[in-house]
Amino acid sequence: MSDKGKGIYEEVKSKVNKLKEEGGLEREYWDFWKLGCLIKTKVHDSRTIYYDTSREFVERYNEQLIAIREEVVENLDYYVERCINVMRKANNFKVYYAKTNEEAQNIFMDELGDNKVIYKSKSNEVKDIGITDILEKKNITIKETDLGDILVQLFDYKLPSWQIGPGAHFSIDDIVARIKEVHGVEPEPTPNSIVDYYRRTYRKELLNDVKVSLTSANAISAEEGTIVLGENEGNISLLTRATDKHIVVCGIQKIVPTILDAVLVAKIQSRINNVPFNYISLISGPSSTSDIRGINVLGMYGAKEVVVILVDDWRIKALKEDLIYKDYLKCIGCRSCNFVCTAARAFGNIFASKYGWGATAILTDYIHNGIEAITKDGLFFCTNCENCYHWCPVSINLGEILKSIKKEATKAGLCPPPLRDYQQKILKEKNPFK
Amino acid sequence: MTKLIYLGCLSRENFKSTCENAIKIIKFFDNEYKIIENPPCCGSLAYHISSDDELKKHIQYINDWFKANDVTELVTICAGCYNYFSRYYQDYLGTDFNVKIRHLLQFLADPKNLRKLDLSYPGKKLNVNYHDACHLRNAVKPIIEEPRTILNAIKNVIFNEMDFNKTNSICCGAGGGVYSIFKENSDFSAKAIFDNMKKSKLLLTACPFCYTALKRIKEENNIEKPIIKFEDFIINLMEGVDPLS
Ligand code: SF4
Ligand code: SF4
Repeated sequence: MSDKGKGIYEEVKSKVNKLKEEGGLEREYWDFWKLGCLIKTKVHDSRTIYYDTSREFVERYNEQLIAIREEVVENLDYYVERCINVMRKANNFKVYYAKTNEEAQNIFMDELGDNKVIYKSKSNEVKDIGITDILEKKNITIKETDLGDILVQLFDYKLPSWQIGPGAHFSIDDIVARIKEVHGVEPEPTPNSIVDYYRRTYRKELLNDVKVSLTSANAISAEEGTIVLGENEGNISLLTRATDKHIVVCGIQKIVPTILDAVLVAKIQSRINNVPFNYISLISGPSSTSDIRGINVLGMYGAKEVVVILVDDWRIKALKEDLIYKDYLKCIGCRSCNFVCTAARAFGNIFASKYGWGATAILTDYIHNGIEAITKDGLFFCTNCENCYHWCPVSINLGEILKSIKKEATKAGLCPPPLRDYQQKILKEKNPFK
Repeated sequence: MTKLIYLGCLSRENFKSTCENAIKIIKFFDNEYKIIENPPCCGSLAYHISSDDELKKHIQYINDWFKANDVTELVTICAGCYNYFSRYYQDYLGTDFNVKIRHLLQFLADPKNLRKLDLSYPGKKLNVNYHDACHLRNAVKPIIEEPRTILNAIKNVIFNEMDFNKTNSICCGAGGGVYSIFKENSDFSAKAIFDNMKKSKLLLTACPFCYTALKRIKEENNIEKPIIKFEDFIINLMEGVDPLS
């Protein structure tokens, strides 16, 4: 029996016990999301907004989406090259191809130059690529612009959260109290007046003060070199227009063949989560005008410069070496697998990593930080129920991927001892209860 | 040619009367089915953590045992056994695996058996729910319609779908060996399954793992509605007993 396996098992057990602590941060999150998960799952089949349910919508486009993702993943080199060429030649983008996260971080810091403040939209990719880490390390002020992330910053909330709605578990009264504590203003305890407070105070800053902004991309089309960004608040619209330099950082798997494919990806991300994309930006170059004697000048009203950093890191390797998480390259980052997940419902944000909540977040931790990291994140919470697979719009079987990782963990002596005991009895005695 | 009743380790260990009921039911249809003492474990709990080599060896051992006992077909009452037999044995053994695998639900839903079953609820009417276990709904040959066919064929039984059903059912939290290490995984989800029942009077399951979790949650939360194993329910009706009594 490995002491390490026993030690990690006890560590994870003590995290589970935290869920039982009344008033604890983990408990607060869990209390909200265990019910939120069921409600969100139920909404898949409700016809409240559109004529069809989100399940029907996704099922309608399922095959098409899978074909798009498979086409790109199987021919990733080709699409990356094609996309970069178009972006450079036709779109006036400054494009970098970073082989590793570290390279991407260095490029990013060079592009940031002397700026000490960065305004950013919500992005899982940015965390995955380690941009948030390097910014924090270099003491750069990160100004979040999505309200959920603004709240996370307001509360200085360090625990993992749902990547799509990271502040949804804060109560209205707590938000008001915290605004008062930090900003000395007390909005009415209603969502409207909290939103109004930020509109009045922050919108001006976003319109006037942004020098460098950071976003990821929902998808990028190879044929047109267009960056597709969906949102409902309007912060991305401001960040990508009212800025001098817009930096896009994302993994190469975000590329899809055409702009229509990219819009489909965005549409599915929106419908599957039942969150509207009130705005979808299709960005094919910096702002420009040729109105003075036909001479093209960049930066009329929108961004003067668009920098795209496309990152490989684990991606080509996963493909070429047929790694167990190769299928994860097809992921469109909708994060809807979170709320159908048995482990995520049962264990809230202790089935999580610094990359967020749920199976994709712990898988990302495995990719970057290895087998011990994912075991501590709650790898063995997964029941292999395959709810994630049944609901994933691109049919990624996270349960099967996690199962393969459990086998690796067991080989490394990290399996929880009671389960290991059963296994040994089965393999040796042919009876788990002997 | 042996027709085997393969009960599964969990049921043999913890649910002896259910095993007896299952044997009665199967033999009622086909008396050639029999029990062989101390059958080896299908390997269910080991699949998630064992290497390919370990599994191959184990599966080979079980197949040799089947061959030694001339087993050509089996009926199991365990959702886990059904899932693993149908998913992995073919994968690992290919054409060397020649046992016809059926779960009791498939066996009962066979039109010939269903006709012979001809059951009715002794009371006026009984509203029931059925919980779709992951092991059955995710199997290579999923078992989803069979329990519905059986329940819809029973007079005075009104089968109600749950909101979360078929491939969208709520997992009880006990799969993948998780119940042996993090029982808490069932605390919320198994309760949510009961919360989903609405007007039905009882909840049926065909998985001993689900039953174990659901039973505990029922007791811990003082839930009045019973959780009943499919074979116990069927035997009650066969013997004219009200499963609610
Ligand atoms: S794995 Fe599937 S469901 Fe989960 S985020 Fe990716 S695409 Fe969405
Ligand atoms: S298989 Fe694992 S990761 Fe997928 S939904 Fe079930 S518990 Fe979550």
